[in-house]
Amino acid sequence: MNDKTFLAELDAQSRVKQEEFFDHIASRLQRPRQKTAPIRTLKGAPEDWDRYELSLEARITQFVKHWELAGGHAHRLAAMKDAVLLIQDMVRHTGAKHLIMQDQPELEPIQTALLRTKEELQREEQQDINLTIWNAHGLDDAAKGWLVAAAAQADIGITAAHAAVSYTGSVVLPSSEISGRTVSLLPTMLIVIIPVLRLKTRLGEVLRPMDEWPLAERPAGIHFVSGPSRSADIENDLTIGVHGPGIVHALLIEEA
Amino acid sequence: MLMSIRADHSTVQKTPDSVKGRAELALNNEFLRRAVKFTTERLKSGKLAAAEEHGNWEEWRERGRQIRLHTIAHLDYYLEQFVNNARAHGVHVHFASDAKEAVQLTMRIAKEKQAKSAVKSKSMVSEELHINHALEEEGIEAIETDLGEYIIQLAHETPSHIIIPAIHKNRHQIAELLSKEAGEDLPPDTAVLAGFVRKKLREKFLEADIGMTGCNFAIAETGSMVLFENEGNGRMVSTVPKTQITFMGMERIIPTLDDLEVMATLLPRSATGQRLTVYMSVLSGPRRAADADGPEEMHIIILDNGRSLQLGDTHFQELLNCIRCGACLNACPVYRHIGGHAYGGVYSGPIGAVLTPALNKNMAEWDDIASASSLCGACYEACPVKIPLHDMLVYLRHRKVEAGRGEQAEKMGMQGFRFIMSDAKRLKMIAKLGRWVQKPFVRDGKITTQIGPLKGWNAYRHLPSLPSETFREQWKQLEQELHASGRPTVHEEIRARMEKLVAARNQSDHMHAGDMARSSDLQAASRLKAAEGERRDER
Repeated sequence: MNDKTFLAELDAQSRVKQEEFFDHIASRLQRPRQKTAPIRTLKGAPEDWDRYELSLEARITQFVKHWELAGGHAHRLAAMKDAVLLIQDMVRHTGAKHLIMQDQPELEPIQTALLRTKEELQREEQQDINLTIWNAHGLDDAAKGWLVAAAAQADIGITAAHAAVSYTGSVVLPSSEISGRTVSLLPTMLIVIIPVLRLKTRLGEVLRPMDEWPLAERPAGIHFVSGPSRSADIENDLTIGVHGPGIVHALLIEEA
Repeated sequence: MLMSIRADHSTVQKTPDSVKGRAELALNNEFLRRAVKFTTERLKSGKLAAAEEHGNWEEWRERGRQIRLHTIAHLDYYLEQFVNNARAHGVHVHFASDAKEAVQLTMRIAKEKQAKSAVKSKSMVSEELHINHALEEEGIEAIETDLGEYIIQLAHETPSHIIIPAIHKNRHQIAELLSKEAGEDLPPDTAVLAGFVRKKLREKFLEADIGMTGCNFAIAETGSMVLFENEGNGRMVSTVPKTQITFMGMERIIPTLDDLEVMATLLPRSATGQRLTVYMSVLSGPRRAADADGPEEMHIIILDNGRSLQLGDTHFQELLNCIRCGACLNACPVYRHIGGHAYGGVYSGPIGAVLTPALNKNMAEWDDIASASSLCGACYEACPVKIPLHDMLVYLRHRKVEAGRGEQAEKMGMQGFRFIMSDAKRLKMIAKLGRWVQKPFVRDGKITTQIGPLKGWNAYRHLPSLPSETFREQWKQLEQELHASGRPTVHEEIRARMEKLVAARNQSDHMHAGDMARSSDLQAASRLKAAEGERRDER
């Protein structure tokens, strides 16, 4: 039996079983099956909360505070070129060898600069940098596997945030062809670029519009990341970097 | 159920049959008591601080409760909506009426994939299934990847706390376990131990054929499943292996991502006091054709396993509102004393004391855990979705007594109490008799002997002796003194209120157990009614 027929058989069984399953729920609730959308008077967060909105400056301050409280590092930068300098500096100082970054258009200046750094360091014979750009376009399964392998070896992963939330101190990272999930997960250190105009106050401002995203455009994974990977499982003693990146830098870019 | 849990335990020590027996094991373990107390107190104060910081906590709790009530009241609709949307993303959805069916489905998939190993992130549902056992019988290695779960897996134990599974182990015990795994001596240093686990499990993630996860919430509107976690292992198991299998309790649904904001506010704050867990992942189907990572195949197994029994039950339907945060464990004075293993089931603490008998539909076997509570209501106050656990515990006890499964001694005691107390003369006589009987045992107004039934009490404290004169006997003299000193006048208003109270009391029957249960019946019924009627917005 091949994979397709196996799955088709499971799905067929599931569709039979589901009617029994839903009917059972309705009968336990002592009413017929609910086939139309129930009326809702309450939805989402309390209405007062929806009016909570901070100014841009206050959002930035709050994000930095909460991100740092969670153990992350935050940098306020005037322009993308400052981010480029900071990253180049980090690479030189940490002696990072393997870098991986998404192929998102907003990261283009960083990509160009890092390629330059790579050449410079090679010339200086100091560091041999391996830079992987995550773009799965037209790749076969084997090549895709190599991208994941590169992420698993990477010292630093670089990604741009779709949005950020100041109240929870979170960055929002959806997956796509040019934005791998493993880039923000497997490297030892993670750098997230946040253009400040994408910084919201509340989680709801990011989540609510996502309800409306068309099916075909919904990413397979949307990850809300709020600091370094952590655990308190050994005697409640906080440990950083258990499975995900232990060092996370948020770079807030203030130019429009 | 009980037996199969035992079968999973490879511990040599025999587990006692009752909560009382298991609690004594726990109480004798001084470290456990201290560790549980320390940790739960930290979690509890973290939760209180987080709730305080957030502000309007009561309003959020009420909102959380309303969303859960609405969803459960229309569970068939939202579940079907979720299933349709998840399938549209390419998810293979399956249904399992009980643990056995869920295990069978999992094993069929695992065999078809010719899986050699499976990595698991924390899932309480998978504990219900004892899936590791089933996988290992087929020669498939099952690896728990949550740090705490990994530790207790190495120790062949079960989780003792819903959020911190290895709460009962100290770093020396953990170092010993991990050293055996490493084949070298590891120091009892948290960073070193965690570092070892990171490296060890990284290899496992990359070579595993199947990733298994639980599901904190499923979104009906978008067909997404949501995972909350701090370590990143949940992301690992749902990103790296080719096949993902998710176990989902059928009640995990919420209608929209908009509603997720409420749950994302309540859950992490209640569980650990965090603003949000480090990772909140909204996963909608397997990787897209163009993506280079994420699972190629995604299965969601929706499990009933006793949950539907609560539907339509006026007393227990609200159990399905539970979001598995563990706040009631941390708040519970009994849990803090006896620890999680004493409860004997998959779920511990106040929620476990109610959920375990409810899911297992066999009150008789589990009913003694309903007694492992002081009925102080701290669990209800801590609960982010306001489940009246203390009411449920009272009702469980009531059911037990009604079913004639009460303790014989307790029953006799209650009958004796009623016999004595219903007649003043009888009480007087018994008091006299008691004063005479106690004589040989009284020292300094205290009774210290540990004979017979007094052992349990006197082992830790002393029983005060019966006073030489009862209040009734003193009354004549007291009344005279009162007259002599001039009777204080009672305020008119207070007198009126007291008289009204007396009149009201005479009207109704005297409260006894039956009425207690009836009044909690009424409370539960009215709560449910409010839920179903989708209470009009009160603000």
